[in-house]
Formats: sequence, structure tokens, C-alpha cells
Amino acid sequence: MSISTLSRRNFLKTAGVATGGLVLSVALPGNALAEKGIMKDANATLNAFIHLSDNGDTTIYCGRCEMGQGISTALPSAVADEMEADWQRVSVKQADGDEKFGPQATGGSASIRVMFQPMREAGATAKAMLIAAAAKVWKTSPDNCFAEKHFVINKTNQQKLGYGELASIAANMPVPEKPILKKKKDFNYIGTDLPRHDQGEVIVGQRTYGVDTKIPDLKYAAIVHCPVLGGSLKSIDKADALKMKGVSDVVVIPRFDIPFGSIGGVAVVADNSWTAQQAVKKLNIEWNLGDNASYDTKAYKKQLVANVEKPATLAAERGNIDTAFSNAKHKVSATYTGGHLSHAPMEPNASVVWVQKDSCEVWASTQSPADIQKVLGQYLKREPKDIVVHVAMAGGAFGRKFKCDYVHEAAVISQETGAPIQLIWSREEDMRTGYYHSINAQHIEASMDENGKVTGWLHRAAFPSIGTLFNPSLVRASAQTLGDVTDHLFGIENFRAESGDAKAHTRIGWYRAVYAIFYGFAFSTFADELAHKAKQDSLTFVTQLFDNNKNKDQQEQVQRAKKLLTSVAKKSAWHERSKLPKGQGIGLAVHYSFKSFVAMAVHVEVNGDDIKVLNVDCAIDCGQILNTDGATAQMEGAVVMGMSLALSTEITFREGAVVNSNFHNYPVMRISDMPNVRVHIADSDESPTGLGEPGVAPFAPALSNAVFAASGKRYRDLPFKPMPV
Amino acid sequence: MKQSMMINGKEHEIDVDGDMPLLWFLRDRLEFTGTKFGCGSGLCGACTVHVNGQAVRSCVTSVSNLVDKEITTIEGLSEHGDHPLQKAWLNNNVPQCGYCQAGQIMNAASLLAVNASPSEDEIDTAMQGNICRCGTYQRIKKAIVEAADTLSKEV
Repeated sequence: MSISTLSRRNFLKTAGVATGGLVLSVALPGNALAEKGIMKDANATLNAFIHLSDNGDTTIYCGRCEMGQGISTALPSAVADEMEADWQRVSVKQADGDEKFGPQATGGSASIRVMFQPMREAGATAKAMLIAAAAKVWKTSPDNCFAEKHFVINKTNQQKLGYGELASIAANMPVPEKPILKKKKDFNYIGTDLPRHDQGEVIVGQRTYGVDTKIPDLKYAAIVHCPVLGGSLKSIDKADALKMKGVSDVVVIPRFDIPFGSIGGVAVVADNSWTAQQAVKKLNIEWNLGDNASYDTKAYKKQLVANVEKPATLAAERGNIDTAFSNAKHKVSATYTGGHLSHAPMEPNASVVWVQKDSCEVWASTQSPADIQKVLGQYLKREPKDIVVHVAMAGGAFGRKFKCDYVHEAAVISQETGAPIQLIWSREEDMRTGYYHSINAQHIEASMDENGKVTGWLHRAAFPSIGTLFNPSLVRASAQTLGDVTDHLFGIENFRAESGDAKAHTRIGWYRAVYAIFYGFAFSTFADELAHKAKQDSLTFVTQLFDNNKNKDQQEQVQRAKKLLTSVAKKSAWHERSKLPKGQGIGLAVHYSFKSFVAMAVHVEVNGDDIKVLNVDCAIDCGQILNTDGATAQMEGAVVMGMSLALSTEITFREGAVVNSNFHNYPVMRISDMPNVRVHIADSDESPTGLGEPGVAPFAPALSNAVFAASGKRYRDLPFKPMPV
Repeated sequence: MKQSMMINGKEHEIDVDGDMPLLWFLRDRLEFTGTKFGCGSGLCGACTVHVNGQAVRSCVTSVSNLVDKEITTIEGLSEHGDHPLQKAWLNNNVPQCGYCQAGQIMNAASLLAVNASPSEDEIDTAMQGNICRCGTYQRIKKAIVEAADTLSKEV
């Protein structure tokens, strides 16, 4: 049975609702996903539900997780557009964790790329069925009807029937084989700046997040973890904690050695979060620190640098780099580094879990409900489908809430105590025992001929990879992990990528933009350094690097990247940069990641060690745009996160443990540093791609290049100005 | 003797440990969850509320210091969510995740109450203690300026 017939069969369900209305549940055709090769499991049912009541109220479920990126507006608006629904009549609901909603794990800037088409088809299908229903009522042909703003209209006599009136009839109409999608010029919501559906709730404090879950008989827990990865509890004296008024339990949580399981810790349960937090401080704990007790990031980074400044393990090779290097007119080399980063979303890790004999129910800010089901299922020895996960809005996530260790911990506490548990991590625990962006070093050597053409490029990278979460014995990043180095769009005939040794001593996890943060930094900063050596301007030089790419498979991408860089230079003051006051400069960078292109022109003023970012022009090409305001917001946010990691944020380990503890020594960017950000969106009819992450990568290199242009000082280490901790 | 405080115009008995920060009295005892926990140390501003009209960090303000004080939280800033700042926040599509925005709005409201037309530098100084990790600062600034304009026209 093909996927499409499977999904057609499951396509339509009707059901009465408690309110007495009728519900049209339109299931999502699976073929769009299958055709793109995105959906691997042929047995998965992919449904996006549109609930239409007999009064016309429409609920559209968002299957992907919302964490501020705006997906719960973007995807439902595509459904509404194709359905010819009136957005004012639509309410959006976050779907619970359920495979019927398709892949819900929200990461890799994939939501729009994967779900745009299927969501449109879901809306178009509903529209066709509503039209068929009206045609039946009027005893006319569907071709004689059209849909507009929650009504079907009879072309002959201009009669109208509302979507609510048609709901129950539509539910019994056959499902169209191939729903017809709208043309771009006919869109009502797609490509507009439609505001987020939930803003009204945010501004009055009614938008609830995972941390806001309240259910009857809730008990509150706080936790302290073993500060070193792989350590364990040696001894504990609970007496002082248990003496506190309001404290009911102390629960030891052993390390659960699977990906996304708890690192191990001790939790206190009380009748409010504050008491639990105070009681945790009264626990007298001794830890066995284990094998990572000597982890020191300063020493480790030095070792990474040493590992990339000598031959390393071959990852990929093209042409003959040795010949290129021996024939070089110029040889340039540089080493770049970056530190660990903590996601530090404003909402710390939080969830409510209630484990009972026959049920387990979870309310959590999460990026991946299926992983919660998997981990809790494994821990409780139950089927994943028996773990009910209510997906809450996350107060920021940035990759952190993909990993459900904090939910697993709440489940352990609930199972031990029998009570529904809300576990909230303190900011200190979030910062000290999280999953971190890889500490990293890269070394590049390049050769140029007498015209400044790059003839050879050796790229060595060393960083503990995310793969170590799943296979802790990995000693270096794989050739596949270095794929974005090997496949970089610069055209380099003679090329070699090597992977330097880098064992993990802490948990490494996806952080917004992931490896693109340091790949983008090294490529675009080094290109600027080469341009300087070749005595060419950076725009001309990088354009040439793209032109040198003769790989047929990359031509479309190369042209888009080149065009975007050229356009951002024009939008900024790049071409008038000679007229800038002394101490000011503009730097450029373009990076292709997560299938989207982002170019930035960063304009700075440098005064001694003081770097002030004045303006950022940001050009994006993400194919067909779904929501211009959402896209703009993502870029503004990417600049802020890019600026934090470029200038100031770094997680430092000493004696195995994180030294940073809160925002006083993890200085994320604040309002006074906000530059003027202007976002320029390329007009495109290409398939849409995501924007959650791609904006982060080009900022740091563009900043390094700008500071160099302004002052002659070259920053090669992220962050440029680490706070001593 | 029973002690109480006024929250959003309504009297609430303080029936918890006097050392408990207002944040947790609001969130866990009264279930007013609009005020957010971000850092627990007064470093991020997510928990900002008004005490007698002035912005304070509720995560580091014990309830024992608030006897007979007037507390305003985001839920009580305006009757219909129509404070000029709230309207400006909507008009500029400020929120991304929105988690810090209650604190941002409350802090900005406190600023405008004493400085009806703040300069950009004054906005920076006043809002420096409120972190937004999503990076909505540009829109926050714009919204504050817009709300100040509205307020100046009302006078």
C-alpha cells in the first residue's frame, strides 16, 4: 500500500464535539513529505487537524513546537490561506505529542522547509471539500463555486454559505486526490507580515509557558546536579533539608545513561518552588567526580589549537593541495577558536510530570515531544505512546529544550513520591549542568597565485561533536560532521579537510546555528584576511571565490550566495566606506546554512578596545517567504545572539565544573548594545527554507572584518572580549 | 496578627514565610503566573513588578517587606490590556517567545511614570537590567518611544 493511499484512507474523520458542533478533521496528506524523502517511515500517519465548528470557529493545530520563532503563526497561516479561512475566525492550538502530526522534533530550522507544502495541501483539501459541500446544497457543480473568507459563494446567483453551516456536510465529501494550490498572487496571508497569533496574551501576562503549568495537588521540586559529567553521588546528609517547613521529600536521581537522560542529581520536593530551592542549598552532598574532574577549558582549548596546527585525520580531499602550496605566490594561515556556550533561554528548564500506575502525563516546554516519550518510556518501562505529552510554549529554547533530561528528572521524582511534580531548574543549574555548544579550534592554510586567486585550502577543525552524546567514545568529529567545511560554496580546486582530536568532557548539544557558528566565522574571516593579503577589497575577492566554484551541483547556491552578498553591500554603506569617520569600518560576510542564505554588513565604531556596533544590514534568501515580520524578527534575534557570542559569552570549566553561574558572569547582550538592524528579504519563488538559525553564523565574521577595517586589529577568537571568571 | 498586601487592587493575606520572595508568593501561592522566574538573583528583570508604582525585582523582594504595599503585576497594569505600552508592544510586534516581556513592559511603565519622554540613552539606562534572549531590543526601544508619544498627546 502506498503512503498516499494510506493517508487518503485516514484522511477524513468526523466526530461530534462536546459543544454540540460538528468537527471536520482533515488529515494531512503524507505524499508531500514522502516525495521529498523527508518522511522515512512509510507507516507514519501524517495529520494536521483543522477543526471547524458549526458556528464557523476554526481551530488549526500546530504540530511543530513553538519557542518564540513564530512557527505557530507561520504554519497555521498557510493552512488558513489555502483554506480561504478568515484568520480572525481561526484560533491556533499547540498539538500534543503525537505522530499523527508528523515530525514534531523542532530543530535544524526545518519546520517551514518540511511542513509548508503539506500544510498548504491540508488547507486546500479542506477548501475543496467545503466547496463540494456547497455545490451539493445548491445542486450545482463545484466549478460554479468559489471560496472566500470563510464563505463559499455561488458564481451564478452570488448566494453564500458560511464555513460553519457547511462543516458537517463537508465532512462527508470525498477527499480530493490532488488539491489545487493557490497562486502566489492570490495569497492572503502567505508572504505578508501577519502578526503572531498570541501577542495579545503575552502583553497581559496570560500566555502560559511550561513553567506556568498548574494542576491540582502539584508539588514543587528543585534540583542540584553532579557538577562533573560522569560523576556520581558519594554521600548525602538530607537532615537539614528535611527539617525545613514545607519540605516533604528528598529524591536521589541516579545518572540515566542514555542520550537526554539525567546527568544525575538530588532533588528536594516542597509545597512551593522557593522552599525547594532553599532546601537544596541545605543538602550536604559529596560527589565522586569521575573521569572528567580535571576538565579545564583554557588548557583544553590550547590542546585543540595544537591539534589543528599539526596534521590531523583526513576527512575529505580534492585536487592536490601539496602541489598548490609548493607553487604558491602567497601563503596565508590563521587559527580561529571559540568557547562553549550555554543557551540560557529566559525560561529555565521546567516541566510538570505525573507518573501514576496506569498513566504518565507530561506538560513541558520542549522542542521534541517524541524524545520525551522515548526517554520516559525507556525509564518507566512503558510504551512511548503511553506517555502523554502536552507541548507547552517554551520561553526560549535555542536547542536546549530538544534534550529532555529535566523532564526525565521530574518523572523520576513523581514516580518516587507519587505526586504530580513541577521541577524547575535554577538558573545556576541551567548554566552549570547543561548541554554546551562545542568548544572549537580551526586552522586554515591557503595558497594564492600572483593574481590573488586561491589555489589551495587546507582546513583543520577540532571540536567535541554532538555525536559524543550518542557515542561517548568518539575522539574526533567525523568526516560527515565536517561536511559543511568540505561542501562550502567557495570554489577551491585543491582542498583538504582534516579533523583534529577532541574528546568530549561535558555534554555537547545543538545550540542555535550549531557548527555554522564556527565554520561561518572561520570561512568568512579568513576570506577577508586573504583579500587583505591579495590587496583586494573583500567583496570583489569573495565574489571571485564564488566564481571559482565550477561544481555544477552547487551553481544555483553559489549564485544565490553571491547575489545576496552583493546586495547587502549595496544596502549598507560599503561602497561609501572610504568616507566613514576614522575608527569606523564595515565588514561583510555571507553564509549558507540550514538551506538558507544570510549575508550581513556590520558597521562598527572602534575606540581602543571598545567596539560599538552601529548598524547591521542583513539580507536573507530563504526562498518563498512565509511571514516577512517573522523573518525580520528572526534576523534581529540572530544579530543579538551573534553579538553575545562574538563579544562576550563563554562557558568556562575548571576542575571539571562550569565556573559561570548566572547572568552576572555570563554576560548576554543587553539593550544598550543594540545596533540598528535593517533586514532585506530577497524576492524568491524557490521552495521556502527556515530562518531560526541561519542568521547567527554571518554575524561574528562580519564583525571581525568590520573591526579590522576600522582599526587594523584582527579578532580570531570567540568571544573577542571574554569576561574573566 | 494577619498581614496583607494589595495586589492589582485586591487585598491578599500574606500567609507564607516572610522570607519568601514576592515572585514565588505570586506564582506558587496565588497562581499569578504572568510574572516570570528568570534568574532568581535580580539580574535579568523577567520578574519585574511595581511596588507602590516603582519597578522592583520580585525574585529578590521578600514578602515581609511588602506589608500594606500596593503591588501591580502585568495582569493588573491596565484593565483591558490597553496601557499605551501594551498597545505599542502590539503595534510593533515586539514579542518573540514573550517570556521576558511582562518584565520589560512593567519596567518600561515605571520609567514612563517618572520620565514621560525619555531619550534613547535614558531608555537604555532604564532598561539595561531586562534581558531578552530572543533579541527584541530594537522593537522594545521603538515601542517605548511610541508609547511615550501617545502619553504626551494624552496630556
